[in-house]
Amino acid sequence: MRKVGFMRALLSAVALPLVFAGANAQVFVDDGVLVAADGSLTRGVDIVIGADGSIRSGAELSAPAGAETVTGGWVSPGLFAGFSSVGLVDISAEAPTNDSYTEDSRTSVANRAADAFNPKAVSIGNTRVEGITHVASVAGGSPNIFGGTGLIAHTSGEFGSVVDEDAFVFVRMGERGQGSAGGSRSAAMADLRDALQDAERVTENSDADFGDVLTRRDALALKRVLQRQMPLVITTNRAADLLRLIELKRDYRSIDMIVVGAAEAWQVADELADAGIKVMIDPHDNLPSSFESLGARLDNANILDEAGVEYAFTTATADTSHNVRVLAQHAGNAVGNGLDWSKAFAAVSATPRSWFNIPTDTTVVWNGDPLELTSAPVAMFIDGQAQSLESRQTALRDRYNPLRNDTRPHKYR
Amino acid sequence: MKTSLMMGVAAVLAVVGCEAGETGEGKGSENAASMPKDGYVAFASTYEVMGAPSTLIADATVYDGIGGVMESADVLIRDGKIVAVGADITEEADVTVDGTGKFVTPGIIDIHSHLGNYPSPGIGAHSDGNEVTSPVTAEVDAEHGVWPQDPGFDEALAGGVTTLHVLPGSANLFGGKGVTLRNVASRTVQGMKMPGAPETLKMACGENPKRVYGDKGGPGSRMGNVAGYRKNWIKAQDYDPTKGRDLQLETLKGVLDGEILVQMHCYRADEMAQILDIADEFGYKVTTFHHAIEAYKIGDLLAESDTCAAMWADWYGFKAEAYDTIRENIPFVHAQGACAMIHSDDARGIQRLNQETAKAWSDGNAAGLDISKAEAMQWMTANPAKGLGIFDETGSLEAGKRADVVIWNADPFSVYARPDTVMIDGVVQYDRASGLKPASDFKVGQASMMEAGQ
Repeated sequence: MRKVGFMRALLSAVALPLVFAGANAQVFVDDGVLVAADGSLTRGVDIVIGADGSIRSGAELSAPAGAETVTGGWVSPGLFAGFSSVGLVDISAEAPTNDSYTEDSRTSVANRAADAFNPKAVSIGNTRVEGITHVASVAGGSPNIFGGTGLIAHTSGEFGSVVDEDAFVFVRMGERGQGSAGGSRSAAMADLRDALQDAERVTENSDADFGDVLTRRDALALKRVLQRQMPLVITTNRAADLLRLIELKRDYRSIDMIVVGAAEAWQVADELADAGIKVMIDPHDNLPSSFESLGARLDNANILDEAGVEYAFTTATADTSHNVRVLAQHAGNAVGNGLDWSKAFAAVSATPRSWFNIPTDTTVVWNGDPLELTSAPVAMFIDGQAQSLESRQTALRDRYNPLRNDTRPHKYR
Repeated sequence: MKTSLMMGVAAVLAVVGCEAGETGEGKGSENAASMPKDGYVAFASTYEVMGAPSTLIADATVYDGIGGVMESADVLIRDGKIVAVGADITEEADVTVDGTGKFVTPGIIDIHSHLGNYPSPGIGAHSDGNEVTSPVTAEVDAEHGVWPQDPGFDEALAGGVTTLHVLPGSANLFGGKGVTLRNVASRTVQGMKMPGAPETLKMACGENPKRVYGDKGGPGSRMGNVAGYRKNWIKAQDYDPTKGRDLQLETLKGVLDGEILVQMHCYRADEMAQILDIADEFGYKVTTFHHAIEAYKIGDLLAESDTCAAMWADWYGFKAEAYDTIRENIPFVHAQGACAMIHSDDARGIQRLNQETAKAWSDGNAAGLDISKAEAMQWMTANPAKGLGIFDETGSLEAGKRADVVIWNADPFSVYARPDTVMIDGVVQYDRASGLKPASDFKVGQASMMEAGQ
């Protein structure tokens, strides 16, 4: 009898009425804010979000029967993390769980992040619950300047969530590239130029080891960039190095070039705009943390915006794996430093989405301004499907919540 | 050959003579019998408060840093001290700041920083934050690796940080002494050292010591870590400086005597519980667990032992012992009655500790807690001050305390809020409107940093 009683005690679940359920019902936003795809705002509207994420808005709508109401909520497209290794890493320091770098790979450009991506990785759920619906993921490190071929995935955590397996090619220049290329920027640029020449010349019938820099399979992978099938994403920070990339772009006009880092982009903003080179910058990047980013400054985005450079935001100075989820905070700080809200929002949503040509079908309902620290999603939809707002961290939270009136040992909760 | 050797010895002598003011033995003095002269304090603080006009901040929203908030309140500052906080202070001051629409908080305190010892730019020559040569390096002092020209100090100031604790890194079981700094412009570390702040000892649990020393003689496991702590505490119990001064044991003895505060890097709940037992065994106290990824699992044990936990808002996953954090770590520890605080461990995070606090506060309340902003403000003010043993001097806006004050242009729990003015001991060190901001020598004359704009 005692044993039965103990078991019963262990099984008694304690309901935690703490988190808005959201997901499977309609949501009614009373007197809310609607964020359009371009980031523009309509304030003071009522919004009905269907169970499929569809949006209907008007001045005075009434709540559908059974809908959960969020007063003063915001409704926006999902956030898009344009530079990450989310889904490629379980624990950064444990090599067998970390596919975000290679130390001794026989391939380079042909390495596809899609072959390593795990939608069940803990970081996916933790990223999703912050309102991020899409991530661009790629391995960042390798023994040469080429990181490989990146993917775009949505954050549902479902198998099949990679929406573009061959989304971009990633190359590291600047200080990271010079190290990989043998110790000088000159060597890195020689490698990049010669690799592009290899890509121009390569055919399916080339010898396996034909190129100056790339083998056949890597050159074929890079050829897709020259054919404008996908962008070439390049890390570079120093203004002088950015100018060299602008030169390269003159020689290879077909390349759709996106520079990541770009700490000193503000110094060559007009030149970048003229060349049509896009940049992904971190609005928190303000320290001379290396000699290639001595000119890092908080208003980089403002200056690029004025010059007409297309820009998106990253969390690269903080983290590109587990904590990409703080993307909204980084965009919020761009606003705090003087950038227009709508432009900052677009830089973490529509702008990178358009660069990678991912159709928009995401809706996030927030309990406040999506860029505020104290706001959180209360409902999310990707391609018409309601998304879970739970993750491994919310499960641990619920197990250890001090409000929980539960005397069972933690392992039974 | 002979010449260069002589020159080497001469250089060593010069350094010893200059810095310590003692007769050099020419070969390090760790085992020499020379005791410090009576009352002599090596590397004493030379920080002096600059004079400043008395200041009245009027009609602001004031977070006092100890759980209170007042609307339309005034703060009176004179001679570098808080004189009064409250409604309708009638005393005159040399300067009156209109605080309408503004928020006033104590200066932010970061208990875990590597500004100066892992400075920007992060080149090899600047890597002075960890003596990674032995699992026990209790003899080193973080202050001897601090470069006062780290541009990160200036940016942290612009983020409202007035006091920070710089520690050695975490490769060692006993990493060395930390140092508590005032975030003031100074040519020397001595000029930044907070006078009277207790000394601290950095220790580390878990993965780092065993990873770094696993193939260098150990420890190679968590078992070895614990044995290493205990063996050295036993040595410290028997330390008799009259038989020969030993810098390692001098520091450890200082801990056992309650004079040096233990600041311990520790992630996992089960390890923190074991460390508390070791402290019990040898009769010392762990003041604060740093990083404390799993502190939320043992908030009750921390509360019982009066041990603080310093945490990030949301860092996780970079190693196995960082796998289990939750965004509610700080509020859950707080709700269990323990002393919880935010910390940065990062040159960028330190610029936005108010934002990290806001995230944790918001997530805690979303999980059902009912913590006010004023209460959460303690996580970046009073509690780190307690963790450093300086709460009688700073960490709150109370009469008699140092006037370390931040005036914000909006509620600091917003991502859009920025410090307008930062004062240390009543002296304005940063002022956004006038452009007053210290600039490291490193930034002077750098073409890459020239202002944009044609």
